[in-house]
Amino acid sequence: MAHDWQPDFEQLVDEHQSMVFSLALRMTGDRGLAEEIAQDVFLELDRHLGKIESAAHACFWLRRVAINRSADALRRRRVRGLHLCVEMEEHHGVQLEPRTSPLGSRLEGLLATLPEPQRAALVLRYQEDLTPEEIAATLEAPVATVKSNLQRGLKLLRTKAANNLQEYVRPKEYARGV
Amino acid sequence: MDDFEQKLKRSFERWPAPPDLKRRLMENRRRRTERSPWFVLPFAARVAVSLSLGVGVFAALSAGFASYQAEQQRKGMAARQQVLTALRITNHALDHMNKQLAAHGRANQE
Repeated sequence: MAHDWQPDFEQLVDEHQSMVFSLALRMTGDRGLAEEIAQDVFLELDRHLGKIESAAHACFWLRRVAINRSADALRRRRVRGLHLCVEMEEHHGVQLEPRTSPLGSRLEGLLATLPEPQRAALVLRYQEDLTPEEIAATLEAPVATVKSNLQRGLKLLRTKAANNLQEYVRPKEYARGV
Repeated sequence: MDDFEQKLKRSFERWPAPPDLKRRLMENRRRRTERSPWFVLPFAARVAVSLSLGVGVFAALSAGFASYQAEQQRKGMAARQQVLTALRITNHALDHMNKQLAAHGRANQE
């Protein structure tokens, strides 16, 4: 079927490079690998440009391929654990400080310790602001599975945050004290 | 969204892409296109070209083998003819010798 939308590769890169890079970085926790994945994803987009029907389709396609490529890379390299937090701070250096609070960057570190399906669901939910139905379409998974992953991931992250992050626990304790 | 989810949302803002990501990407894209037109072809076209080349190579090898076999057969036939000719000549010589011996024997008896 013919479609009027004419994709401009450079414009797509400009618009979505931050999204693709962030998805890959949060999924793998490795800046170098995330850059590699972002490059691969856009080069694949270039090969499939003729099949992309609209700007929304391009965005959806990029999200899905970025998550899939990150999962493939993780399967190959198994980058996991709390080391991510240190790694991210080392790689991002001063960039971390002005953009997010220390609590924020440590929450990202804890995210890396979650199982991969829960991490993917949480990243798409809170970074991309997608609904469970949209996440299910992106991950090609049943909505019930996505909802379950979101709930379990959130619960696990809450528990880990309460156990590991002083900044998160303290306000609650103060609140109880007051 | 509760307080924790709000915190997550704020923490999970998109990271800015590395400043030279786009430049390196465009460079890779250009190099990929220039380096080999083969990889620019769609997958199905590459499979079709590979299959055609494979069939071509197989046909050439088969033709070569058939030609080699025909040549060997021709050489075999020629060698057979030569042996038969040699046998005919020998047979003829032996006949001639027998006749001479017989004639010589008769002359001695007389």
